[in-house]
Order: sequence, then structure tokens, then C-alpha cells
Amino acid sequence: MISRRERVMTYTLLGIVSIAVLFPLVWVLFQALSPSSVGSIDLAHVQWSNFITAWQQAGFTQYLKSSLIITGSVVILGTLVAILSGYAFGVLGVTGEKFLFPLVLIGLMLPMEAFIVPLYYDFLDYRITDTYQGIILAHLGMGVSFGAFWMRTAFRAVPSSLGEAARIDGAGSWAQLWRVYLPLARPAVLTLVLLSFLWTWNDYFLALILVSDPAHQPITLGLGAFSGRYLVQVNLLSAAAILVSLPIIVLSFIFQRQFIRGMLSGSVKG
Amino acid sequence: MNQTLTHDQERRETGHPAAGRGRKRRRKSGVGSGRRPWLGLLYLAPGLVLYAIVVIVPVGQGVWLSFFNWNGVTAATWAGLSNYTGFLSDPQLRSAVEHTLYFILFFSILPITLGLISAALSSYKGLRGAGIFRAVIFMPQVITPAVIAVVWQQIYAPGGPVNDFLTLVGLGGITRGWLGDFTWALPALGLAGTWASFGLCMVMFVSSMQAIPPELYEAVRVDGAGPVREFFTVTLPSLRGPISVVLALTMIGAIRLFDLVWLTTKGGPGISTITPTVVLYERAFANPNVGSAAAIGVVMSLVSLVVVLVIVKVAEGRAQ
Repeated sequence: MISRRERVMTYTLLGIVSIAVLFPLVWVLFQALSPSSVGSIDLAHVQWSNFITAWQQAGFTQYLKSSLIITGSVVILGTLVAILSGYAFGVLGVTGEKFLFPLVLIGLMLPMEAFIVPLYYDFLDYRITDTYQGIILAHLGMGVSFGAFWMRTAFRAVPSSLGEAARIDGAGSWAQLWRVYLPLARPAVLTLVLLSFLWTWNDYFLALILVSDPAHQPITLGLGAFSGRYLVQVNLLSAAAILVSLPIIVLSFIFQRQFIRGMLSGSVKG
Repeated sequence: MNQTLTHDQERRETGHPAAGRGRKRRRKSGVGSGRRPWLGLLYLAPGLVLYAIVVIVPVGQGVWLSFFNWNGVTAATWAGLSNYTGFLSDPQLRSAVEHTLYFILFFSILPITLGLISAALSSYKGLRGAGIFRAVIFMPQVITPAVIAVVWQQIYAPGGPVNDFLTLVGLGGITRGWLGDFTWALPALGLAGTWASFGLCMVMFVSSMQAIPPELYEAVRVDGAGPVREFFTVTLPSLRGPISVVLALTMIGAIRLFDLVWLTTKGGPGISTITPTVVLYERAFANPNVGSAAAIGVVMSLVSLVVVLVIVKVAEGRAQ
């Protein structure tokens, strides 16, 4: 269909673009492997121990624990809330839907800046700044809009005759949700889980404001603290950066299709 | 990015109008007997409570706070509209707004243009390994913004690869710490943003282009159109949806920019890379003028809402 010349040109172009995208990342990877602490690259003396040294110096064990607790709780609880809300809007209907649905949808358009300042002072009053509960609560509340909207769309794609059939067999709304609707909406749930993981793990701003106690801060803040130190050893900083992004990169390779499709349809959906 | 949660709120709402349409259609076609609204309210309750605590109530409080002068500790005093009226005469905010316009160019216009060109060139059918290219180009989308900041800090460092390259080609005289330079820090951060958002644009455009029915191309080819006219008469009009989505998304990303700036320059040197969210953060927490910070939040929300609604309206209006 296409000429040889076009094909060569296309590959060249894609190659250039890929190199441009990869170059900064590969550079940092090479720095992380080099013994030089000022950032010169020396792959003849690869120093894998940089990763261990960086881990120890940046105190990542505690930060990782916090990140796992925060991200894990948000993904599990957030997905559960999304399923319940989506089922309500998509299948059962909701009293006052004409008011409540737009109210929930507005959350999709509001930037965090709209409520972050008063939220901080509210959390001070509730005494939940610097706690896991606080940051988890904040992530959960902010995720409701997208979760409800996303799962509503997924449940609406399930033919209502299936739910109807289960109902005739005596299944209540709860049983219908878990036995009929949810199994059919599994791909949507997987995408939601991945996106929620990505957004929670990558968060910096929310945690910066709500958690000032290093013992409860996620790893993104740990990286920020490490890079802000007075004398930075560049190879260690690079190694630390790679460690922070590693889980997401691994996940995105395993679930490449879901990630790309999710992020694209997450935006185009509807 | 992140912002990336961050980046994503905006990404979602474009579904809103179409979803509304779908709902009406569904309603007409049959009021399912599966609908039990009171029970539905019960299922919705946990989400609604969380949403109210974290979003709805604080949004209201934010508007209220923006009418006060408050340092976060002592009693607040009524400020009327003064937190809003001084907006553009405040030198810090004024430069923040100017930088935002500048960043929109780098985060939004530039990646979309580049994305369109490269997507058009690369969307030939039967290209081997297209998936690998897509995955690579998409990669910055999933990388933690804090990590992206560290990466670009290294690239622009005095001993970093940009300066190495300049020295190599005989331009050693202009090497510098790019992020510490009053003139160059802003475009340097801008280019990092182009790098970060370009992949999403391209992948989004490629996947929409693949959905264009081949008959459309055949039709214009029969008319004797070349590839350029083909692009403008068939490809571009078909991409109105994805372009508007990406435009809304990246513009809001630019308006809200924080992580990248905070972790590299903290808005400096001086205020040469300051952004509205950086100002908001400093006024809310570092040197509290909470009313002013709240007002910045309110204005940012209104601007974001207007941007999204205008883009959606324009995209829909043209499509009809």
C-alpha cells in the first residue's frame, strides 16, 4: 500500500521521535549506573550498588511503606466506592439524580486548587494532617467523580435483561451487582485499578500539603527531599529517581494495552 | 502530569455531554424495572459522603475564605473583593499568569502540532513494530512527575548533556545552568513539558486516525488530492474530538503546573518561572495570606471550567 520511500521516511521519523523521548531517561539511567557523583557517565565501571546506597541514604524503606499503604488503601477502597456509586447511577437510579449526577460530574472539572486550601485547614481541625487516614481520605474523595462516572458507563453497557433474569431468579440488588454486573465489567475495573494506582502513586502536590511528617510521606516526597539536599550526589539521585518510577514502569509494561487504552478512553469516553 | 491525578481530572469531563445524550436515549427506550432510586441512594451514600467532605464543602469554604484576610492563625478580617481586585496588579500573580500563557504554548500548542504531524506520517497501515514505538513515545505519560523533574534537572545541569553537546559543537561560550538562568529557565521548563505531553497527543491522534474509514481517503484520492490536501480535508476534520480533548487536557495541565516547577526551580530564579499554583502554595502555607490563596484557587477553577466548556462547545458546534 505504501511505497518504500514512505516506509523508510516513517521509520526514520518514528526513530528520531523515540530517541528524543528516550534520551533523557536513558541518560539518567546511565548516570545512575556510573561511579561519578558529579554526573559524568562511565559505563566501563558500572556500579549497581548505587541503587542500594541511594535507597539507604534517601531512607526509602519508610517512604515505600507509606506509599504502599496509601496507594493500596486508595486503590482498594476507591474501586469499591466507584463500583457502588457506578451501580447506583448506572443501574438502580438515584433519588435526586437530576441534581446529584451533575454535582458529582462537576468534580471532574474542578482542579484541586479549588478546595486544597480549605481542605488543609479542615484536616487540621479534624486532626488528620500528617496521618495516613487523612491523605487516604483526600484521595478517595477526589476520586469519587471519576470512579462513579467510569463504572456507571461500564454498568450501562451490560444488557439490563441479564440483571432482570437474575432478579426473577430471586437475586437481590447486591447479588446482582456481584454475580451479574461486576463479572461483565471486569475490564473496566482493571483499567480503573491501574489508573487509580498511577494517580495515587504519582501524587506529589496533595501529599506535600497534607503530610509534613516524613514518617507518613509517600516516596515522591522522599525523592523531593533527597534531591533538595545541599550536596547532591548525582548518580545516587538518578538511581533514586529510577527506583521511584520503577513500579509504574513495570506495571505499564505488563498492562501496556490497558494503560494506553485506559488513558485514551478515560479521556475520550462518551 | 499528576499531576498526574492531576492531569486527569480534565481528561474526563469531555465525556459529559455525550454521556448526557446517551442517558436520555436510554431513558426513552425503557424505564427498566431494575431502577430502584431509594436503594440507589443507599449505594451512592459512601461516595457521596467522601465527595462532600473532601470536595463540595471545601469548595464552598474556599469561596467564603477568599473574601477574608487571614494569616491562618489570628482572627480573620473581612476583605470584600480585595483579594480579587488586586489580581493583575500584583506583580507575582501577573508574572504567574504570563508564564501560564507561555506554558500553554509549550504544553499544549506545540505538542499538538508535533503530534498531528508525526501521527499523520506514522499512521500508515501495515507498519511493523508500531506498537513498540507507541509504547516508547507514550512512556513519559506514566512516569511520576517528581521523577520527570529530577530527570530534567540533570539534563539542564551545568555539567549536563545539553552543555556537553554545546561544548562539543563549539558553543562552549553559551553553556550555563539552564534552570538557574533568568531568561532561559522558562523555555527550558517549557520544553520539558512538550516532551512530557507530546506522547499522549501523538498516541491519541494515531488511534483516532486508524478509526477513519478508508473510503473517505479513497473518495478524495479519486478527486486527485495529494497527501497534504488529504490531511486537511479528511484527517484533520475527523480528529476534532481528540484534538479538543487533548487541548483541554494539556491547557489545564499548563494552568495547574506545579510539580515540575516546584521541584526544579521553586518558581525562580527570582520569580522568573513562578506559576499560579506555586503562588497559591506559598500564600497558603509558607507565608500565609490564606484569603488570597483561596481567591487564586477560585479564579483557577473558574478559568479551568471556562476553558473546558468553551472547548467542548466549539468542538460540538463544529461537529454538527
